[in-house]
Amino acid sequence: MGISVLKWIGLALALIVSAAGIGLGFWQEVPAQQVIFYGAATFALVVWAWRYYTNRWAEDAVVKAARHEGEGETGEEPSAWNLFLTKNRAAIIGLLVLLAAFGIASITVEGFFSVLNIISLLVLVGLTVFSAVMGKFVVEHKSAFIGLTVLVGLFVVGALKVDGFVSGVNIKSMLLFAAFLGLACVGQTLVALLGGLDLSIPFVIGAANVGLLYIMGLGMPSWLAVIVILLAGAAIGWINGILSYRLQGQALIVTLGVGFAVSGLTQIVTSLGSQFAGNVFGVVPHWLTNIAAMNGTTFGLDFPPVILIWVVVAVVLIVGMKNTVYGRYLYALGGNRTSAARISISERRYWVGMFAISGVMSALTGALLLGWSGGGFIDVGQPYLFMTLAAVVVGGTSLLGGHGGYGFTVIGVLVLQVLTSFLVGLGLSYQWQQFIFGLLILPMVALYARSPHIRSQI
Amino acid sequence: MTKSTGSSASNTFLLVPIILFFALLIVAVLRNQNLLTSAGLGSAVIVATPLILATYALMAQAIAGRGSIDLSIGPLIGFINVTLVQLYGADIISSPVPFFLAAFLLGIAYQLAMGLIIVFVRVQPIIVSLSGYLALSGINLVILERPGGTVPEWMSSWGLGMSVFSPVAVILVLSTLAWVLFSRSAFFGHLRLMGSDERAAYASGVRIGIVRLGAHVISGIYAALAALTYTSLIGSGDPSQGTTYTLIAITALVLGGTSLAGGRGGVVGSLLGAVNIYLIGFVLGTLNFGAVQSFVTDLSYGVILVLSLLLTVVLPRIQNVVRGISPLLLFVALSAVAGGVAIHSTYDYSAPAAPAQSSTAAPAAATGGEAGATVVKTPANLTQFMFEDSGAELGGFGARSTLAGPLTLGAVMLLALVILLRTMVSQVRAKPASLVVSIVAACVVALGVYAVARPSHPVAGGAAAPAQAEQ
Repeated sequence: MGISVLKWIGLALALIVSAAGIGLGFWQEVPAQQVIFYGAATFALVVWAWRYYTNRWAEDAVVKAARHEGEGETGEEPSAWNLFLTKNRAAIIGLLVLLAAFGIASITVEGFFSVLNIISLLVLVGLTVFSAVMGKFVVEHKSAFIGLTVLVGLFVVGALKVDGFVSGVNIKSMLLFAAFLGLACVGQTLVALLGGLDLSIPFVIGAANVGLLYIMGLGMPSWLAVIVILLAGAAIGWINGILSYRLQGQALIVTLGVGFAVSGLTQIVTSLGSQFAGNVFGVVPHWLTNIAAMNGTTFGLDFPPVILIWVVVAVVLIVGMKNTVYGRYLYALGGNRTSAARISISERRYWVGMFAISGVMSALTGALLLGWSGGGFIDVGQPYLFMTLAAVVVGGTSLLGGHGGYGFTVIGVLVLQVLTSFLVGLGLSYQWQQFIFGLLILPMVALYARSPHIRSQI
Repeated sequence: MTKSTGSSASNTFLLVPIILFFALLIVAVLRNQNLLTSAGLGSAVIVATPLILATYALMAQAIAGRGSIDLSIGPLIGFINVTLVQLYGADIISSPVPFFLAAFLLGIAYQLAMGLIIVFVRVQPIIVSLSGYLALSGINLVILERPGGTVPEWMSSWGLGMSVFSPVAVILVLSTLAWVLFSRSAFFGHLRLMGSDERAAYASGVRIGIVRLGAHVISGIYAALAALTYTSLIGSGDPSQGTTYTLIAITALVLGGTSLAGGRGGVVGSLLGAVNIYLIGFVLGTLNFGAVQSFVTDLSYGVILVLSLLLTVVLPRIQNVVRGISPLLLFVALSAVAGGVAIHSTYDYSAPAAPAQSSTAAPAAATGGEAGATVVKTPANLTQFMFEDSGAELGGFGARSTLAGPLTLGAVMLLALVILLRTMVSQVRAKPASLVVSIVAACVVALGVYAVARPSHPVAGGAAAPAQAEQ
């Protein structure tokens, strides 16, 4: 098949698709500028995707022709179509699933088949193709690349589908929640880099949340109370690290146990002598509320300081882990314990240290959440139990250690947060959000974190 | 049995759950004698069975290795629960056979899907189970928005727990036996080999894909059983309560000595671990902390979990010391002690004198750890028993029939203790358990069954019921 024929087929296909889109748009009385803009975008996407694949086919054909000439025989080479199918199996299956889901949704849900949804579908398809294609060139940071692609896709679709998705207020609130999740994920990322897991994070968050209000109620100055809580968080993290150092395979369970104990102990202490077991009442100081609440201001600017805190922490961590000796040693330990030990890196120090940092950051998140909500609540950390894990995994930090970083986690956090915001904007209830979350984590991870087959490990 | 005791050195991880079990049991019996009535045991079985079965379900995957801890076991139980309740509510299924079939189908289908993803997509098991957790706990709320619904009549009677021999107990016993049988199969050997070293298993020709899928199927079957017993326990549908099973079942699994790294785990350990979790809750329930009750429970779960994990670290160091102690012998010896305490707590001291000193002697002897001391004490106690036995005829209101039980039991227990301590000392090099030990173990079990089988009387034949009547 000549290349020119393919090219014309592609152009025709793109024309048909975008014409259909435009026709539907006018039929549904969407503003004309939008229709034209989307039509052009659709056309460009289809042409671009088509062009890429025809080039690939052509290359394959050329390569095959060369091979045929070299071998001088007509072997039973698989046809170009079969080769294409086998090479892009995952992407094709993904596309088919997407199309099937769209078809099912159009048939079952009333009013689903609209021009906006078709455009959303095309954007998603385009991004899937884009990430499948470009993913082959991006070897080093594939997860970050896919995460960013998904982020862009979600953002575009969200802006199309949800009114006010790109408004300042919504972005501010997304960043605010992302900041909480991001701060809670700092410890999880660092610990995961060493090959451990910290499940005590939600319990420490809850305990710090309640404990801070309690000790402020005892009359301690609020700045001192925050420092005390952070130190207590560090102590809990330190205990986690010490206890789990010898039980590294079971860090998950050790931290879970410590978390249970901490949460129980805090509640016992705070509810002794109180009628309302588990509830602490008190007044949150104004400066803490300002830091974390939606209407807070940073140096007169109209966004809560917690976002700034998160950005600073993220920059420090990303730069620090790349450029300081501590950061490099951390990766060295996660990658290979034995060789790290050979160059005198103390495994115990790093292991315990990372857990201590995790404790501090969890306590900080708990304290900030107190400022956000204005009341102590022990279960405030519960959503973070698996969300921190999900953010780390979606971002692409390996749970086996040695690969990843906080930059990846930031992407993971943003993806999860934008996805949540999008689903909320669609009017989906909490349970559907969680269901979709669960279903989405798996394919995202499968795109980049597949372990090799056992036969290649021997 | 002899086979398993032969390798007692590798079974030392069972020592911790056994000791913990009896410590908790003794405290529980001392705090609340109702545990030892037929109704008390019955309700204990009803409450503990879902947890035990969930722990078995976790165990199948944990043995398979690769760090598979099925975080989604709790939501899966909830999922089967709400689906069954909704199916029953829609009049689609109502009789037992379709009910069970539906549960098995759901459990196996879900676990098989997970297994297929793990085997063919090759994503880390914990990530698969994490996304299963999120997806299932979301869909549960979609299926059944808030707790409600009913179960069929034949099932609602299961949850009463008036007698030990309820259908739930039958399910528990059968599934435990099934696991014991399963652990004798070649498949189980392959499973363990794969769990401890997947590459070696692959290189030696084990079809690891099939074995892993098999482990998931078994896990699904046990999850379905756990869901069925859970449904009978709460007698309705609850979309979110099942989720709590994830954390406590993992705790129970670890308490039972199963290695989360794979390759090690046994039904006895998991059973004990789950029962320990139940007993912790029970003991704490009797202590009555008032408003902070649930917090104290949290605290104790956490502390005990961490401590038992730390014990597994220390265990190899004291292995030289404990190598001579076979878990089976320890179990039987401690059960004799616990039996003594049971008599002590249920016996009515005020009515016919006080013959129950024997029971205080039993723990004393055990803690002393000397066979000699017991031998000296035993005759005295025994004569006291005999004496009281004959004198009790004068005691009126048929005291003889109520006393005969505890007296015989106590005597046999003491005898068993003596023999066992002797055997434990002599069998320092862990040899297969001798015939005597097996006979004694069988006697203890038979006595226990005998005592439990009389629903009208308290277990161990103690005089708790008359005592309560008097008060």
